[in-house]
Amino acid sequence: MTNQTATIATLDAEQISIQSVSLWQITWRRLFRRKSALVGMFILGVLIFIALTAEFLAPYGYDEVLIGKEDVVAREKPCIHLLGCSPEKPQHLAGIDGNVRDQFSRLLYGARLSLLVGFSTVTFAIIIGTILGAVAGYVGGWWDNIIMRFMDVLLAFPSLLLAIAIVTVLGPGLINALIAIGIVSIPSYARVMRASVLSVREMDYISATRALGGSNFQILFKRILPNALTPLIVQGTLGIASAILDAAALSFLGLGAQPPTPEWGSMLGAERNQVFTAPHLVFYPGFMIMLTVLSFNLIGDGLRDALDPRLAHVS
Amino acid sequence: MKQKLYVLLSLFVLVSMALAACGAPAPTEAPATEAPATEAPATEAPTEVVDDFEGRVLSAPDCDSTGIIKSVEATARYEVTFTLCQPDPAFLSKIAFGVYGIYPEEWIEATAGETSRTTEGLERPVGTGPYMVSEWNRGESITFTANPNYWGDAPEAETLVFRWSSESAARLLELQSGTVDGIDNVGPTDFETVANDPNLSLNERPALNVFYIGFTNTFAPFDNQDVRQAIAKGIDRQRIVDTFYPPGSEVASHFTPCAIANGCVGDPWYDFDPEAAREQLAAAGFPDGFSTKIYYRDVVRGYLPQVSNVAQDIQAQLKENLNIDAEIVVMESGAFIEESTAGRLDGIYLLGWGADYPHVTNFLDFHFSEANPQFGVQSPTYFEPLAEAAQIADPAEAEPLYVEANNAIREYVPMIPVAHGGSGTAYRSDVTNQQASPLSNEYFAVMDPGGRDVFVWMQNAEPISLFCADETDGESLRACEQVIEALYSYEVNGTDVQPALATSCEPNEDLTVWVCALREGVTFHDGTTFDANDVVATFTMGLDASSPLHKGNTNAWEYYDYLWGLMNKPSE
Amino acid sequence: MAQYIIRRILASIPVLFGILIVTFVIARVIPGDPCKAILGEKATPEVCERFIKDKGLDKPIHEQLFIYIGEILQGDFGNSIRMNVPVTRLLIERLPTTVELSLAALLVSVLIGIPLGVISAVKHNSWIDVLTMVWANIGVSMPVFWLGLMLIYFFSLVLKDTPFWLPPSGRVSPGIPDDPFFEVWGWVIPESGFWAGVLVFFSRMNILNALLTSNWELLRDATEHLILPALALGTIPMALIARMSRSAMLDVLGQDYIRTARAKGLGRLGVIVKHAFSNALLPIVTVIGLSLGSLLGGAVLTETVFGLSGLGRTLFEAITARDYGIVQSFTVVIAIMYVIINLIVDISYGYLDPRIRLD
Repeated sequence: MTNQTATIATLDAEQISIQSVSLWQITWRRLFRRKSALVGMFILGVLIFIALTAEFLAPYGYDEVLIGKEDVVAREKPCIHLLGCSPEKPQHLAGIDGNVRDQFSRLLYGARLSLLVGFSTVTFAIIIGTILGAVAGYVGGWWDNIIMRFMDVLLAFPSLLLAIAIVTVLGPGLINALIAIGIVSIPSYARVMRASVLSVREMDYISATRALGGSNFQILFKRILPNALTPLIVQGTLGIASAILDAAALSFLGLGAQPPTPEWGSMLGAERNQVFTAPHLVFYPGFMIMLTVLSFNLIGDGLRDALDPRLAHVS
Repeated sequence: MKQKLYVLLSLFVLVSMALAACGAPAPTEAPATEAPATEAPATEAPTEVVDDFEGRVLSAPDCDSTGIIKSVEATARYEVTFTLCQPDPAFLSKIAFGVYGIYPEEWIEATAGETSRTTEGLERPVGTGPYMVSEWNRGESITFTANPNYWGDAPEAETLVFRWSSESAARLLELQSGTVDGIDNVGPTDFETVANDPNLSLNERPALNVFYIGFTNTFAPFDNQDVRQAIAKGIDRQRIVDTFYPPGSEVASHFTPCAIANGCVGDPWYDFDPEAAREQLAAAGFPDGFSTKIYYRDVVRGYLPQVSNVAQDIQAQLKENLNIDAEIVVMESGAFIEESTAGRLDGIYLLGWGADYPHVTNFLDFHFSEANPQFGVQSPTYFEPLAEAAQIADPAEAEPLYVEANNAIREYVPMIPVAHGGSGTAYRSDVTNQQASPLSNEYFAVMDPGGRDVFVWMQNAEPISLFCADETDGESLRACEQVIEALYSYEVNGTDVQPALATSCEPNEDLTVWVCALREGVTFHDGTTFDANDVVATFTMGLDASSPLHKGNTNAWEYYDYLWGLMNKPSE
Repeated sequence: MAQYIIRRILASIPVLFGILIVTFVIARVIPGDPCKAILGEKATPEVCERFIKDKGLDKPIHEQLFIYIGEILQGDFGNSIRMNVPVTRLLIERLPTTVELSLAALLVSVLIGIPLGVISAVKHNSWIDVLTMVWANIGVSMPVFWLGLMLIYFFSLVLKDTPFWLPPSGRVSPGIPDDPFFEVWGWVIPESGFWAGVLVFFSRMNILNALLTSNWELLRDATEHLILPALALGTIPMALIARMSRSAMLDVLGQDYIRTARAKGLGRLGVIVKHAFSNALLPIVTVIGLSLGSLLGGAVLTETVFGLSGLGRTLFEAITARDYGIVQSFTVVIAIMYVIINLIVDISYGYLDPRIRLD
């Protein structure tokens, strides 16, 4: 008797582990097949590389004022030796900014900030959102109502306006902007988590686990959370994209990163009056924002398609 | 079950909201703040003139319940007498300020609302000026039309339009396209563009302002005079002016610009000397520098057109020259003003001052009098000579006192004056009589827009209201100064005063009584005749806090209070 | 159907209530007092005391909250502290700008986005498809303010002195007559009151006004001024809608009933219009609804860049200036608009997909 049960149990475990490995492999393979996702990953890779090695790549410091050190004027246009700028003049690939600093170096350091902004806001929002959504979905009843109504109220405001209001309450600054954007992003993750929980809560294998003596906590973590993982990942990747855009918008309005931080949005915002006389100071930071957000969008799209079983037949 | 819950909840919410609606008192009226209205001090002094003119009188019971002005009396149909509680050598300069423009008596009474002036009063002021308000398209433009019965020269352009944009690039673009005829505050980087364009003319505005780096010397290490002096020597102010200020700006040699009499007498400010600065800082006990903060607000002013750039440069200089680590802290405008003027900021702060009226007392006395907590503890080495000099009318006589005061300020370093910020206006080249007024009160009646009928002017921001008696904002003042006039006025593009609604104002020996003869034959835009009672009514409205006419926009009456002092202020 | 509508409306009420409270709290919690913010640097403490008493800001908080809610329910949004005019008046003056801009942006995004998406789906994997998707992906990633500035640079500076020049800011050029339609038609309207407000509101939408009064000069001028902001604001929704249209159509086109329709002999176009499109409408409407949030939020940035005095920018300036009157009321109005629009979207779901009604 005992022998038989033991064999069945081991078989089960093996089969399960084989299953999960191949799912990830399948996803990865499908992701790679999509060209757009590849492009996105390439761009992201370059950006991460820049973020990590900015100190070595940047020809100047991000707050290095060049008055008296070089013969340059504030807001001077870019001088690229390869494109014909006289070799006597110092090379500044993206020109000089309003405080007589090299913009190219500042752009490079800015990559670090933007990536940090994206990841930290979304992590913050996911953690809080999943807790709230899990509680709402799992416990149900009054808790569900209150939490979801509160999420509705949060969603009733256009996200940027709400973020502006929160930052005004907390005071300007990058950290406060991150908190504000994080708070504003919570509802979507809460909803995703709650939907996952609801769809899985009544399934047989949950009742089975409970019958076997599993605690609520175990159930949440081991059974329900993995199920919610895929939509959360997709939502999160796309969320990073919009978080970076929102942070740039807040900085553009003067509410986010404070000088001399080389955040792309605030670099753009500081020079928006000079769009006609120094377009390079408006074009490059915005372009970098677009590139970064694009990479996350492409990856997020690719992940969504790769993880969606329905689209298995559509490439 | 859930359904019913929803319905119950919604009903509950509805009921409570309904209760709130019924329970709330009548909406807009705030409780009346005025003390029981004692009718404007009523001693109707009958005059000597034969016609039945009854002159109004505004008078404070004594000099404790008022500021500088004790009484304003219509002593004849075309004569007003101002009696002061103390001598005021700057009387004429002050009386010409646009805030003290004269309104018709009946209009003042008709537009005095419950707690504030009626919308009609705020948006369609009636005055004696060359233009009248025709339409205010909020958010878009204000249109003025010429006053056919103006007592002076008829305005050149039949119609005057004010527009606004906070973006200097947008203003310049509209000027270049020809959709506007003149703009204010050419962007610092655009001066060259305008100067090189044959269709445009640049006018540089003399810098009647000052930008300074403030210390609050009740906080260490700024309580040490050597530290303050070291920082004064360690900042290259020329570099700041060269890099971030438009042409026409200059490094400040003193706190007050030289254009003002007795402004820059005394020794000029320290030269940039980083070695001496480092030595002095080390001797003061900080050989390796220290940490502090730079506070500022992100608001553009004539004295500081590129705020955050300057702040970053100061931060860089402090680090480079003196090894001082300064963290930049941007504050909200109102909070910044509150904290800095109360002397509560524990680091250095960036602030400035624009002239209200062209007199040295407007610069020095406001900032360096004993009572001002802004810089911490003020030193008698300068506030005493300043107090003495304020009573002397003749600038030559007062000069030695101002030399003493300026030198003492230089020694004590309550703040570091950095720059007098120039700015500029630009016009289409065919506009005549172009102006860049040092007091920012361009006078459009004399400008002819190249033969066109409409003159379009574009400034930084929309006026808040056109009731200038209760406004401080320059954008509002410029607009209403086209419509209302005061007893005197500043000459076009200058700071000297000239008679306007008054033909002369003669003081007595000790400058405590001023008798103004008024211009005859002037009518207001609504057809009523201008006479002495209008002057008294206007000052009653502005000065007498207990009068029912004392209704404005925000009811702050800052300029009436600050330059003269209100009468009969409520005791709490 | 009626039951469904009522249920949706009832569900919105607690949300509206929550909005009122949140707005009030936010406005009050903002640091810095309005006195110095509004009266400026020269305000003395006594002046500020009088100011605060005047505006009723010294009453206890819960009393202020009750007054506030009561006033809102009676349609009184209070006064702007800074400009001392009733907020309703500012609303009537500035809301049309935002509404006009949002509608124009929405129009741009729908008129371009849906056809692009449908064509991409029908010509799946062709170069049109690839190009559209690349464009859509880039469009979704662009910061609105950057796009606006680049458009201004191109159309106002680069194309200067060409017939393609477009103005960089404002709604109309000065001097263009813009008499409200009720004046032109000779109507006599009361000075104030609800209907007067409604009429003024509609007359301030320049394009509508121009059409109603056959004022072709105004129509041309207003449209010229509206093109760039609408493009800037509408690009992100356009990209979203194009993508969603494409994927929804792809979904639907792969279904069995489409093949059946084709087998039955229905022409290509007929299939697309009659069967495919109407079924794809549901997710497209969803995306349009979602885009409205980004439209209202993006309006702040667009209005700032193009110098338009609309709801978004006024609200932003009011927040900076601590003008509680405007902050509270405008936020409520925006949130209410948002809730109503979501309600309409929800209800149109019920109309489009009968299965949802029974939920």
